[in-house]
Amino acid sequence: MTRKEHLEFNPLALVLACVLPGLGHAARGEVRRGLCIAAGILGLFFGGMLIGGIDVVDRVEDKWWFLLQAGVGPTAFAADAVHQKMLKVPGPSGRPQTPLPGAAAGSGAPRITKSLGRVNEVGSLYTALAGMLNMIAIIDAGWFFPRPRPSRRAEAAAPPGARTA
Amino acid sequence: MNHLLAYTPFLDPLDLHDAWWITILPLALGISLAYKAIRVPTLDRLPREVVLMTVQTVGAMVLLSLAVYVMVELLIPLLW
Repeated sequence: MTRKEHLEFNPLALVLACVLPGLGHAARGEVRRGLCIAAGILGLFFGGMLIGGIDVVDRVEDKWWFLLQAGVGPTAFAADAVHQKMLKVPGPSGRPQTPLPGAAAGSGAPRITKSLGRVNEVGSLYTALAGMLNMIAIIDAGWFFPRPRPSRRAEAAAPPGARTA
Repeated sequence: MNHLLAYTPFLDPLDLHDAWWITILPLALGISLAYKAIRVPTLDRLPREVVLMTVQTVGAMVLLSLAVYVMVELLIPLLW
C-alpha cells in the first residue's frame, strides 16, 4: 500500500483549522495535539504583539508582513481591525497612521505609538512565523497523512509487550 | 519610570532595543512547539523533541553568529 492511498481529506477540519489554530486537529479527534498547536502558534502571534506592540500587525502600512500574518486566520484580521479602526490617528496627509513616539507627546489623542527598529522587526518576525506555521497546521488538519512511524531505536527501547508485529 | 507607567501590554512595544537578541529563545521555543506538535507521531515524545529542536536552533544561531564574527572581524581585515 502506498503513502498516497492513506491520504484522507477532511473538509470540516480544514475549515476549522482556518478559523482558529489547532481547532482542525481537535475536530479530528486529536484534542491534545490541537491544544499544543494552538499554544505554539498563538503564543508566537501574541508574543510578537507583546514585543512589538499592535503596530506590527498592519494591513495598510506593512502589507507584505501582513500577507504572512494572515495565515493565523481571523485572529490576525481582528488585531488589524482594532489597529486600523480604534488606534490610528489622522496623519499630516489626512490618512490614518500610527503616530511616531515623539508625535504622541502632549496631544493626548493617540493611545499607541509606532514601534521602531529591532523591536518592530522581531515582533513582525514572530507574527509572520506564526502565520506560516499555521499554514502547515491547516494543511495537516485538512489532508491527513499518517504520522511517521517511530524509529527503530525507539521501537527497540520500548518494552517487549509494546512492540508491534 | 514615567514611560513604564504609560506602557500598555500588546499595544505598546517593549523597550528591548538593547536586549533584542534575548527574544530568540521564546521564538525558537514557539516554533519548535508548533512544528513538533504537528510532526511527532505520539505526543508523549513532544517535550523531549521540543527541547531538542529549541537547543539545536539556538545552538545553530550561536555558531552562525560566531562564524560571521570571525569572518567579518578577523578574516576580511586580513585582505586589506
